[in-house]
Amino acid sequence: MADELSVLADKGREPEKITIIRMCFARSGPPIWLAHLDLMRTFERSIRRAALPIAYTRGFNPRPQLSFALPLGVGLATEDDYVDLTMLEPIDPRSAVDRLNLFLPPGLKVLTAGVVSAKDPSLMSLIQAAEYLLEGHGISTAAKRIAGLPQDRPWLVEKKQKGNMVTVDIRPLLMDMHDESPDRLFIQVKAGSKSNLRPKLFLEALVRLGDFDPLAAADTEITRTKLLIADGFGGLKSPLPRPSAF
Amino acid sequence: MAAVNVPRYVLQSVVKPARYVGGEWGSVHKDLSADNQVRTRFAFCFPDTYEVGMSNLALQILYDLLNKRQDTWCERCFMPWTDMAEQMRRLGLPLYSLESYTPLRAFDFVGFTLQYELAYTNVLSMLDLGGIPLLSADRKGDDPLVIAGGPVTYNIEPMADFFDLVIIGEGEEVLPELLDLYDANRSLASRNRREFLRLATRIEGVYVPAFYHVSYHPDGTVAAIQPSEPGLPARIRKRIIRDLDRVDFPLAGIVPSTEIIHDRIFLELFRGCPRGCRFCQAGMIYRPVREKSADLLIDQALAIERSTGYDELGLLSLSTSDYSELAKLTDGLLCNLAPRQISLSLPSLRLDSFSLELMEKASKTRKSGLTFAPEAGTQRLRDVINKNITEDDLLAAMRLAFLGGWKGAKLYFMLGLPTETMDDVEGIADLTRKIEALYNELPKSQRPRRLEMTVSTALFVPKPFTPFQWAAQATPQQLDERVRRLRTLLRSRSVKYQWHDTDTSRLEAILARGDRRLGPVILDAWRRGAQFDAWQEHFQMRIWLDALQAAGLDPDFYTVRERSEDEVFPWSHIDIGVSRPYLLSEYRRAQLAQTTPQCRDACSFCGAESFEGGICIGR
Ligand code: SF4
Repeated sequence: MADELSVLADKGREPEKITIIRMCFARSGPPIWLAHLDLMRTFERSIRRAALPIAYTRGFNPRPQLSFALPLGVGLATEDDYVDLTMLEPIDPRSAVDRLNLFLPPGLKVLTAGVVSAKDPSLMSLIQAAEYLLEGHGISTAAKRIAGLPQDRPWLVEKKQKGNMVTVDIRPLLMDMHDESPDRLFIQVKAGSKSNLRPKLFLEALVRLGDFDPLAAADTEITRTKLLIADGFGGLKSPLPRPSAF
Repeated sequence: MAAVNVPRYVLQSVVKPARYVGGEWGSVHKDLSADNQVRTRFAFCFPDTYEVGMSNLALQILYDLLNKRQDTWCERCFMPWTDMAEQMRRLGLPLYSLESYTPLRAFDFVGFTLQYELAYTNVLSMLDLGGIPLLSADRKGDDPLVIAGGPVTYNIEPMADFFDLVIIGEGEEVLPELLDLYDANRSLASRNRREFLRLATRIEGVYVPAFYHVSYHPDGTVAAIQPSEPGLPARIRKRIIRDLDRVDFPLAGIVPSTEIIHDRIFLELFRGCPRGCRFCQAGMIYRPVREKSADLLIDQALAIERSTGYDELGLLSLSTSDYSELAKLTDGLLCNLAPRQISLSLPSLRLDSFSLELMEKASKTRKSGLTFAPEAGTQRLRDVINKNITEDDLLAAMRLAFLGGWKGAKLYFMLGLPTETMDDVEGIADLTRKIEALYNELPKSQRPRRLEMTVSTALFVPKPFTPFQWAAQATPQQLDERVRRLRTLLRSRSVKYQWHDTDTSRLEAILARGDRRLGPVILDAWRRGAQFDAWQEHFQMRIWLDALQAAGLDPDFYTVRERSEDEVFPWSHIDIGVSRPYLLSEYRRAQLAQTTPQCRDACSFCGAESFEGGICIGR
């Protein structure tokens, strides 16, 4: 099997055969502590172990051609993340998923995959919004407090930007929020290369403006539950249409 | 014992939390239910950070070897960085293994691999964080057996108080026998630790420090080292693998998810070194040279690449240019690896046209840096240390390098070598100037546009089991003077000069040739806050000097004192095969600047022939 799939890069790429496979993956357990670069490296090595016919970047230091939708912060779990793999030849997405899952370390799992057009803009540029589940002690009360602040009052928090601390208003970046229980809060936020709200910054706003206990904030489990792209009609949709039985 | 649960906010607050969670590809998890037969739990401990420890081949080899046993589960444990250690202490979290998060004290064996002396205080930190009594004498039946192996253990005397048992030689040979013995005498081991340790001394290569008594002369030198009971061997002989082709090598290692220092596949070409440089401890303790065959190495490289997914492969040995099948090996690797997008990273090779060509082939696009270790600045001093490299060799190599497009090289030297004078120090600058002149004489079209040389000097540390074990280390004053001289002489736009901190090398010298009286000093220094001594940002010589003084010991006794020819060394009861008379004759030859041929050219009957293996066979 391994040898059937392994492709000699020297064969070069034949443009008409290049296929982009978009994979939807989840992470939980130990891998949540990986930084984005670590996660990339882990995917690269897993793909090599799985001997998928991945294309390599050109230049000094050829790397498997992967592009991730949106970096995941250290400590974050995800149920719905995306990576595009450039393959040198057409390959059945389902068998690529099955094969890669055999070689990913525990805690990383590909859920589904599909072929996307090689002419599409990059995955990262498509991302518009993300949804997170925040599980922390007393988080919903804090959320109600900041939601109850006067409409014209900005939610100012400090963040590091290019080495400097800057103050930003995150209120416009929050699209939706609802609680499920006193300790479980869902938020939908702007995400992507244009405007992006990191959930840790939101937690900080809860601490500063909603009287959320800092220790509870540091202990809050964060799970990305959805990544969304524009559907072309002013709405949002998943980067991959979800097949029913897969 | 329950698994340790590290609160999320702790991991959230420390640098590089991925170090503390495990779960990497290739890490081994075993089922502990009754029918699964795991009876012995072994914690493999590396007394430095995850990134350093995971780069160590011994860890990968022994992890693989131990986990192939059905009755044993070997897990890993590293020294947490100070931020994590602080949090663990604050919260009372014990140090735990990365596989099952089991507290260190719940293991049967806690085994340290010791690669450098400056990790000693970290051993104490790990034991302490793990809730294990620091002193061997204080441990009871249900405490783990705390053992050690690795190059530093050939003179483990300064750490003798802390280890129950020490392995002298190659772990692949000794550990299986030790684990068999433990499995057969499990209840004895917990009922009567001492009896079990006594039994273990029957295994060749096992050293139990507590069974040996050391007496001292009034001047502080060792008078005698004697077994404290009849029936113990007077000398402990190192164990080695005779045929490396026939011993397991991990074909599916652990692949870290987070970046480590040497993040690649390692192929071990051979153990030992034929050269016989007189300052080099590794060159003596690993004798004789034992090579693996090129065919086997190529097969193993391919298997490891498939199972790990690494895209870089490195060659490991003490002197790769001396590998007898180097051309066959590198040809085989290059033609198999290139199509699979794997790069071959080459260690520093002896520079000749073969190796330059090889470097061209290995790095298709980028020129990797060249490094050279002439070690000394004059031919006389190179003869003293038996470093078989001449000025002509070096200039010829640099010429080839310039013609091949290299901008320069990094040259490594040692300062404070035995018999060194200011002439030898100036020789380093002369040599560098000759390289500059060589560059300037080349027509512009044939040389790179700029010249970039780096000269790096480190302070010589005399090590046990080398011909220089008798020699004095240079004093800090002598060293400062020599470094200052070089700084003035090496002022040039195309030469960068780097020198190493002398205090680190002084401490290394104290610990390397130290005796058991240093045990309390290490403990005291650790209590005063010494840890991560190998890390510049943590190292504090003051602490060590205070601890030595408190114990009434003079650092100069260990560093700058030349030993008399008949001095009993603290490590005299350890037998590495290479004989003391041989080392002494080498020391004498050094003083006369007489060289000794390397093993391949002529055997000097150093004593390693007694292992009846490797390069000594067929002579
Ligand atoms: S016995 Fe001879 S060949 Fe063997 S290691 Fe010693 S010098 Fe080298």
